[in-house]
Amino acid sequence: MLPELEVTAREQFAAVLTHDVAPAALDLDADMVGHYALTSLNKVLFLTELCETTKVDLANFTEDDLAGMRTLRDVTDAIARHVGPVGS
Amino acid sequence: MTRETFGRLVTTEPATGRITFTELWGARTLDLADLYRRSARVARWLLGHGIRPGDRIGIHAANGLEWVLLDLAALRLKVETAGLEPGKFTPDSDLLTRYDLTLLCTDRHTEGPGIVPISEVTEAAGRRDLDEPALPPVTWQPEDVTTIKFTSGSTGESKGLGATAGSIDSSLRAVQEIFEHGPGDDLFVFLPLSLLQQRYWIYSALLHGHDVTVSTYEAAFAALRQVRPTVVMGVPAFYETAKRQIEARQRRGSSVTEAAQAVFGDRIRYLWTGSAPAAPSTLRFFVDAGLPIYEGYGLNETCIVTKNHPKAHREGSVGQVLRGKEVLIDADGVVHVRSDHPVNTRYLYAEPGSSEQIFAPDGTVRTGDLGHLDEDGFLFIRGRADDVIVLDNGKKVIVRPIEEQLKADPAIAECVLFCPGQTELVAVVSPAHVPADRTAITAQLASTNAALTSDERISRMILADEPFSIDNGLLTSQYKPRRRQILAAHHAAVHDPKEGIHAP
Repeated sequence: MLPELEVTAREQFAAVLTHDVAPAALDLDADMVGHYALTSLNKVLFLTELCETTKVDLANFTEDDLAGMRTLRDVTDAIARHVGPVGS
Repeated sequence: MTRETFGRLVTTEPATGRITFTELWGARTLDLADLYRRSARVARWLLGHGIRPGDRIGIHAANGLEWVLLDLAALRLKVETAGLEPGKFTPDSDLLTRYDLTLLCTDRHTEGPGIVPISEVTEAAGRRDLDEPALPPVTWQPEDVTTIKFTSGSTGESKGLGATAGSIDSSLRAVQEIFEHGPGDDLFVFLPLSLLQQRYWIYSALLHGHDVTVSTYEAAFAALRQVRPTVVMGVPAFYETAKRQIEARQRRGSSVTEAAQAVFGDRIRYLWTGSAPAAPSTLRFFVDAGLPIYEGYGLNETCIVTKNHPKAHREGSVGQVLRGKEVLIDADGVVHVRSDHPVNTRYLYAEPGSSEQIFAPDGTVRTGDLGHLDEDGFLFIRGRADDVIVLDNGKKVIVRPIEEQLKADPAIAECVLFCPGQTELVAVVSPAHVPADRTAITAQLASTNAALTSDERISRMILADEPFSIDNGLLTSQYKPRRRQILAAHHAAVHDPKEGIHAP
């Protein structure tokens, strides 16, 4: 996985949480809903924002793909398959 | 009386307006006239399946074109619909039996007698051989049931309520009177179409010639910035999320206007919120950002009762009473709603006794909410009657304002107050994250207590190990805490005086 993608994902994920968590302290393998109390709407917003920042078309994914992304690593792995260098 | 709404919906091809469907893969736009013609093909396809006026069909699918076509086709045949939200209902033969369905259309992979994949609707809508013959004329009388609403309630299985054509007609007229939706408007809908209120905006488009956009839940934020709607139909949880997003963009250097436009587009006329109480700070945030937001009030059993709107709004209220509704406040301060055209007078599917708890024989609804009307007729909701705790000294404590104060701290996602033994108030707190920030939560307990009278003070706080969620059954689908289930889950700790964080 591209390191800059992970950094961006951590920052974007921390930004949608309702509580303060340092991006570096996030556990990539923790369940986003169960562990970080991510609501379904915040999950949608997080993925929308991350796709916009990384210039990955959200249309690469289906509604079922999104439902299957349970951890931050699931998200970064899925996006890494479509991303160019972040910010390009 | 329904001639001007349902009469037109079933007989008149719209002259203007478009409908856009957005999913993650992209968007598709149709003229409403095209939608209308396609719905006639779907109606004939339903007739081919043996569906007849008075039958009931189930629609179990994510938001999309087929949902709308089936709903409109059913209206044109005088067939009832049951909107069944995927995730809440399993599309199997039991569902057909339980809700007396003749046909069930679903977008899930399943098979069985009477179950039809929704892809067949897509195909039927494109079949020109289904352009004839003319559909048999239908008339919806005010008391006719058009659809079954499902309401989560506070316990167990969903209750089913038949919504009458008269109640829908009355609500559509009242809302149009105050908001005057018309050409130039594009109303954005992303909440499930299984909720009747979300389909109102499609009916409104067909009647008043404005555009409407229907999005899947997952595509909502991406679609908003592309579609640039004039009105967004949301709920408080959605606006809380949008608010945080706007604030995050401001921290990155955008002005509030730029940040708000990045989320909602640049054409917003107003934002609609309802279904649950919105935090005053959230409402104020959007108003200050230049996005008027109007809160209203209503239950599944009453449909929309009050609404703030551009010509009459008052901070802290849920608006004035709409035409066709009457709000009565009883001696205990409980809000009752009388309607010229009630949604119904009883549930169609519910536990015995449920209907009598909420419906009077004439359809007047005991809402269970505490409220008052001010001198100008604006309704203010203070909490739930069930949420009034009577202490052993006779003092009544309304818990919602106390809970709201506790929740003001970002370390607390949700909290519910209980009163074991009528002697002390105990809060069960759902932390905003795990592990919980005990220091912040304890400090919030102290500062909340400092502003309360002695009877209202919280003596202990039980921290839930697992945050309340829809999945663990402690929040409703609209993110409201389920008090009975929360108490059951923490019964031992709530009733043990040694448990929890004790107030300093």
